[in-house]
Order: sequence, then structure tokens, then C-alpha cells
Amino acid sequence: MTDIQTTENELVYLYCVTDKEPGLEEARSLVDNLYFVFHKGLYAVAGKVEKSEFGEQNLKRNLADLEWVKTKASMHEKTIEGVMINACVIPFKFGTLFNTEDSLKAMLEEHAEEFKAILIKLENKGEWGVKIYCNIERLKASFVNNEPEILEIEYEINSSSAGKAYLLKKKRGELIKRMLNKKINKCGEDSYELLKELSFEACINKLLPREVTEREDEMVLNSGFLVGNDEVGDFINIVDTLKMYYESEGFLIDCTGPWPPYNFCGLLKERVQSG
Amino acid sequence: MDNVVTRSKDVTLLEILDRVLDKGVVISGDMVISVANVDLIYLGLKVLLSSVETMEQLRGAPFAGPTQEPS
Repeated sequence: MTDIQTTENELVYLYCVTDKEPGLEEARSLVDNLYFVFHKGLYAVAGKVEKSEFGEQNLKRNLADLEWVKTKASMHEKTIEGVMINACVIPFKFGTLFNTEDSLKAMLEEHAEEFKAILIKLENKGEWGVKIYCNIERLKASFVNNEPEILEIEYEINSSSAGKAYLLKKKRGELIKRMLNKKINKCGEDSYELLKELSFEACINKLLPREVTEREDEMVLNSGFLVGNDEVGDFINIVDTLKMYYESEGFLIDCTGPWPPYNFCGLLKERVQSG
Repeated sequence: MDNVVTRSKDVTLLEILDRVLDKGVVISGDMVISVANVDLIYLGLKVLLSSVETMEQLRGAPFAGPTQEPS
């Protein structure tokens, strides 16, 4: 335990909370001034940061700088992963800052029971992310030549006048769109439901646009699962089975983990907070 | 093969936006400044990426000119 005082120019940056004395060796190689605060039976892993970098106005400015965000957010993640090696953690959102160590302690005091309950819930479990991407053209190609309904319209188009053919083509386009949607939903739903069965908790997150994924294909499912450490093998087997099943239709299933449980550490009690 | 499992946890831009900036415990209160403007970062990112793309297009592709049909 340390008792570093913040100076006028510093803020306390909170990474995560755990109930075991955290080993910081791993994370210290990444972040300077990393330490922990022990209070009410909880360890808060924190670091000192400069106001010139993280003070409210400066932070806003820095957030507009993508390189800065990337570097700092990676450090945030790696620091928590370092602690996670031998302790169950509650990860905090990037940029959770306190003016002083006392205000951090006050926060721990206020939420101590909730944090302990969450840590018990998270014991021996990890977060796994499953994202599904769809190559729409490949999916289309997988059914467009063998769906009777489409073939029928195709046949009609070939034996129709130009005007009628135009309308039929439009109809075919809409039919294909509907079928694409149906197949995408089926892949997403089936995969999610199946993996949910093997998890303690599951969640569906926002789909991210291609600018962010930097991929050619479209994200069609973004999901998270809280999986028991003993069930990880089964979970991955199911993912592999789904991959094999859906690959030929143009779906790509991407599974990563274990992550700090960012998606499964919500405060249990509902609290109306002024803010 | 492109479908080999990527179980490694590379902290890609995607994961940063998806987890580190967007998720995790959020405490509100006087003593805390917490990054709330994730959408703003997405926006900044989109602008940045699209400008990179535009630049690459300008650099890479020979200028084809407008291909308008005379009507």
C-alpha cells in the first residue's frame, strides 16, 4: 500500500477494482506511477496523471486526437489485463478520474458492498466477445441460384415484355433483400442463443460501421458472453462448429477473449445519480 | 486461411472503441470526470478515416474524370 499524495497538477486515474492484493509488476512496465489504494476491503488500482493531459479541458482536446486515444486506451486495457492475471477485476471506463485519493476512497466506501457482490459474481469467469461479419455478396451467391421463388421470377422475367420485366426485376430485388435479412438474422440469433446457453450472462452490443471495423464485410452481430473458466473449452467448440456451418454462406465469426468483464460489471442496484 | 480463430486479444482500434471507451463501470459524481462523449470520438474517427481514404483515392487512382453521359 502506498500513500502518494496528489499535487496541484495531478489527478488520480482509476483502472480497476479488485478484492485481492493486485500484482502490479506486469502493468508497471507500461504505466508510470501505478499503485493501489486499499480501502474497505477493496483494492483500487490507480495511477497519477497530469492535469495538463487529463484535466477536463485538456482531456476534451486530447480525445480529438486519435493517436492519443489509441495509445492511452491501449494502456488502460493492458494495465487491467496485467492485474487480471491473478485477480478478478471490475474494469472502469477509460478516463475515470478523481481529484484526490480521498475522493477515490469516498467512492469505494459508497460502493463497497456492490463492488464486492459484483466480484463474487465474476469469480472464475471471463468475458468473451463474438462478432459476426457477413460478406453480403457471398451470402447472396449462396442462395440466389437455388431458391425456387427467385428462379421462378427469373423465368418470368425472361419471357416478359420490357415493362413487365422491369417490375419483376424490382420484385426480385426486394425478395433477395428479404431473404438476405432473414438469413443474417437467423445466423445471428441462432449463434447468440446457442452461446448464451453456455454462459452465465450475455449481451448484444451496438453494431460498428465499416469505418471502425476496417473490414470489407458488414458486422451483423456484436455480442458478449460471461463464460465460466471451466466452460471455455465447450464455448470455443460451439464457436468452431458455428464457424464451419456458416462459413460457406459468407459469414465470418470472430471470437476473442478473455477480456476484462467490461460488459458484465454494471452496478447491481439501481441508483439514480445526480450528475 | 482467413477464418482461423483470432483468439488473441490485440487491442485494435475496434476493440478500443467497443470496450475501453464505451464500457466498464461508470460512476458519476462531483469528484469524477468520466469520458462520456464516445459518439464524438466515433465521429472524429469517421472524419479522419474518410479523409485518409479520400487522400488514398486521389493519390492511387489515375484521375478518371466525370463519366457523365451526354443527355
